[in-house]
Amino acid sequence: MALPNKVLPGFSASLYCQASATPTPLSTANLSVYASTSALAVSANLLPVEAIPAFGQDDAMANFNVAGSRQSDKIPTQAAPTSMTITAAWNPADANLLLMRGDAYNGTIDRTFIISATDGTNIVNYAFNGRVGQFSVDPNPTAEAKCTFTIHPRGNQYGWSNNT
Amino acid sequence: MATQQNVNQYAKAIQAQLSGIITPVPVYANFNRNFATQNDFVTWQLRNVHQPVYTGQTQSVKGIDTPTFQMSVFSTTMENSFLNANKILQALHGYSGLFGGATHGFQISKADVVWLYNGYDNEINLFNIFMDCTLYIPT
Repeated sequence: MALPNKVLPGFSASLYCQASATPTPLSTANLSVYASTSALAVSANLLPVEAIPAFGQDDAMANFNVAGSRQSDKIPTQAAPTSMTITAAWNPADANLLLMRGDAYNGTIDRTFIISATDGTNIVNYAFNGRVGQFSVDPNPTAEAKCTFTIHPRGNQYGWSNNT
Repeated sequence: MATQQNVNQYAKAIQAQLSGIITPVPVYANFNRNFATQNDFVTWQLRNVHQPVYTGQTQSVKGIDTPTFQMSVFSTTMENSFLNANKILQALHGYSGLFGGATHGFQISKADVVWLYNGYDNEINLFNIFMDCTLYIPT
């Protein structure tokens, strides 16, 4: 089977980030190539996040009105890939969280991220290139300290792929 | 990444820490009057060991553990029962640092003690005080 053909629990998704402080993100074409994305979805690149937020594509449309016409028209326009605000348990020495911290400080580093969901056998990957726009730490004393970072995907730079 | 903590280590540390606080009053895990014959003694029970699990297939993506152990402070006199409970409260509530001594200890960020209630057991003729202590353990 090509795609996981089951309803997946939310727990089935993991988030991976490309390694290196100065990464070269995948080309737009390769974001839809499973072999390219799965090479990045390895345990060394895992981000220890609590939950994967909503991902995919935002909505955007223009509403056209014509005098004399009863109904208007909604035309899809430039929709951005969905920005993701992600919470992770904060280990100050976690290599990949340090990459997120560095990216947020820099603001212009393009990095490939992979969300990989699996039913245990088959895998579907959502890959995108993005920049980190926020990095904050919440040390609420009732639980572990959390670090929150927001990834803003670059326009037109995402793709879906699956194992075959 | 957070690996699962060793509960055996917890048990050793709790025993050592409590023993250190109220020495020479004996400390036992789980036992009651059927076992202990002293006029004053303390027992403890560990519960609620749980590190929250997070998304993905990697087992070690977890949060911190916040286990709770209940302390039961027994005494033949009400005053000793309160004095021993107070000694534990003073030493443990808000404590941060090495928990469990040099041999079995580990670092905790905070110990949070809740004094639950006191009572008297007519069958064993002992005053008792029950307290909960929650540990916040960096992982």
